[in-house]
Amino acid sequence: MQFDDQGRVNKSKKRAVFNQPEAKNRVELFRHLPQYEHGSQLTDLESKFLELDSMHPAVYKVGVQYLAGDVTGGNARCIAMLRAFQEVINDYSTPPGKTLVRDLTAKISSYVSFLIECRPLSMSMGNAIRFQKSRIAKLPLTLSETEAKAALCNDIDRFINEKIILADKVIVRHAATKVRDGDVLLTYGSSCVVEMILLYAHELGKQFRVVVVDSRPKHEGQALLRRLLAKGLSCTYTHINAVSYIMHEVTRVFLGASSVLSNGTTYSRVGTACVAMVAHAFRVPVLICCEAYKFHERVQLDSICSNELGDSNDIARVPGRPDVNSMDNRTNEKNLQFLNLMYDATPSEYVSMIITDYGMIPPTSVPVIVREYRREYLLI
Amino acid sequence: MWHRSASFILDKNQNDTVYPADSVTLTPPPPSSISTPQNPNPNLNRNMSMSAYYQTRAAHHGVVTSDWLAQSQEAATRAVATGGQEIVDGGKSGRAFSVIDEFNNWRKQPDLAEAVAAIRALAAVIRNSEAKTMMELEIELKKASDSLKSWDTTSISLTAGCDLFMRYVTRTSALEYEDFNSARSRLIERAEKFGEISYKARKIIAMLSQDFIFDGCTILVHGFSRVVMEVLKMAAQNKKLFRVLCTEGRPDRSGLRLANELAKLDVPVKLLIDSAVAYTMDEVDMVFVGADGVVESGGIINMMGTYQIALVAHSMNKPVYVAAESYKFARLYPLDQKDMGPALRPIDFGVPIPSKVEVETSARDYTPPQYLTLLFTDLGVLTPSVVSDELIQLYL
Repeated sequence: MQFDDQGRVNKSKKRAVFNQPEAKNRVELFRHLPQYEHGSQLTDLESKFLELDSMHPAVYKVGVQYLAGDVTGGNARCIAMLRAFQEVINDYSTPPGKTLVRDLTAKISSYVSFLIECRPLSMSMGNAIRFQKSRIAKLPLTLSETEAKAALCNDIDRFINEKIILADKVIVRHAATKVRDGDVLLTYGSSCVVEMILLYAHELGKQFRVVVVDSRPKHEGQALLRRLLAKGLSCTYTHINAVSYIMHEVTRVFLGASSVLSNGTTYSRVGTACVAMVAHAFRVPVLICCEAYKFHERVQLDSICSNELGDSNDIARVPGRPDVNSMDNRTNEKNLQFLNLMYDATPSEYVSMIITDYGMIPPTSVPVIVREYRREYLLI
Repeated sequence: MWHRSASFILDKNQNDTVYPADSVTLTPPPPSSISTPQNPNPNLNRNMSMSAYYQTRAAHHGVVTSDWLAQSQEAATRAVATGGQEIVDGGKSGRAFSVIDEFNNWRKQPDLAEAVAAIRALAAVIRNSEAKTMMELEIELKKASDSLKSWDTTSISLTAGCDLFMRYVTRTSALEYEDFNSARSRLIERAEKFGEISYKARKIIAMLSQDFIFDGCTILVHGFSRVVMEVLKMAAQNKKLFRVLCTEGRPDRSGLRLANELAKLDVPVKLLIDSAVAYTMDEVDMVFVGADGVVESGGIINMMGTYQIALVAHSMNKPVYVAAESYKFARLYPLDQKDMGPALRPIDFGVPIPSKVEVETSARDYTPPQYLTLLFTDLGVLTPSVVSDELIQLYL
């Protein structure tokens, strides 16, 4: 839904589970994306805990985790959501006069809209939901309720196992062949797959060092840095402003992705495009590590038509530095708008190779994978 | 992949084309006569070993020597012993079937590509196999394929050809037949078909490329590729007027051989030293090269110097065409020049080099896909990004 369409926005507000005041000072170019006042959202939702009788507690818990930022990263969010759906299915009983297929699908849809209110869906979650709905729709009518529920829970387990956990293992093994002794590997932000690759290569005994590039406001790289240091890797930590300064010593760049689109564009954390472009200018190969379930048929040419807007206060305020906080409390000024984008799109010419669980492929082959392996969903 | 082979183009032009007088027969030739040893013995204690692949190419243009034959027998014995099959003696008669021997028999024809010889040998494995179940047969095939691949680990087309054969043959739906014998005959049929397609690949490629050679064009060729030779031969037979610039191709000096062959066909040839490529690129209309292997990104691995020529051609907007058979598609993905297995070739500078001077002896380089314009394969005329498409579909 495009959020600059006032009529539809009002309609969806009436169905909303909790009240979210829209941000007043918004950038014109991004009016089609939702942006809310972040200060009161969490307390508002928490206060609604006892009033939400239509909401399953597992889904509510996941929603709160998304809103608070406790669960981040495409894989983690997807797994949390699917586990919550598993609990929903286990506790489900068909109300009299309704069929399981239609009622369950309606319930899942309502839960999904609640989760979207907490935080817009990532593409991996979108694909997982589509898979879930197609599995429900394909249930043979002869199954009893317990059998149907068991089959659905089984499907979710298989999906998580095959498409996420095993896929990660395969990716790690492929990627480790591209790490040689004496390499300097650069990574941006915190991607769970890239972390696994670095730790696995270190376990194999390869001699390399890591450069972790980080950026405001989330500083996601710091957690990755801490975990790598705990395992004994030698690391360098720098900010994205210095990426062109450090790129001349780098031999490979490993990046994660939220999704890869059909024209080979990589959709991932804001700043990734910058790092990829600088690496390309220095002729350093860029390797994107992404599971195949995150591939999407959509084509996106820029980072504007579809994105996510974060909290503007995060940019205005620098925690712990009162001397540079002159932007603080100025978020409502008429001539000043803050823009906190969460994702950006990296064009395919900056990417050397994409490592997926189907092997190492060039960015031009993403639509082939989507075409050949989507049928598999229907055949599980 | 090969049910869409462009071999129809052969049938269409069957009446018009004049086949060359020295066409190769399909049966294995009798063992050739022995003559004085001309080729270096690879068992010499040298610091750098010559890649067997380049040795073979040298051998084809020399004569098969007695010690070379003895080495191949030795290799067969070693490979067969580790494969768990019966030990083979030096004698030719009264002994069990060995895939390496079959391979060596096929390889002796200088015009036959190594990978095609391997494919024919593997097809013979199926024919001569005594397995009673499909599983047994597959295991035998896998062992034979591994022993062929270990014969020369640096040859990309050999590895790729064996892998593709295994995938193509074993993914047949015939494996679901109840009757083992009918399944086996189906496997043999597919294996023969694959062998046929691979053998005819050069002709198909030659026919597809005829449209790209126009009257009055100047073609730059690098290295002695038999596929490119076939293309130019056919163009000459079709009475096209063109001239060829060929690089010397040190250290192989393969350019001299190519110039020789072309002169026999009355094609105007001009020889250049390798450094003169940029100097003459202005008068060139297109660049034609073969490939040792085509990798997943769509790039090619070919004789040293190809990357240089592709870079110069790209910066001057000249098209670079690659002629490669489809069995050379390999599941490799090099990120830079050093990301491949090494293949070394000793260089003779003609004067002694002091021992503390290092020499770069790599025999091949990697050309990334952005510098290649088109690939002529037996599947048709493809852009580099289609290579990955074909490989994904095959490995589905």
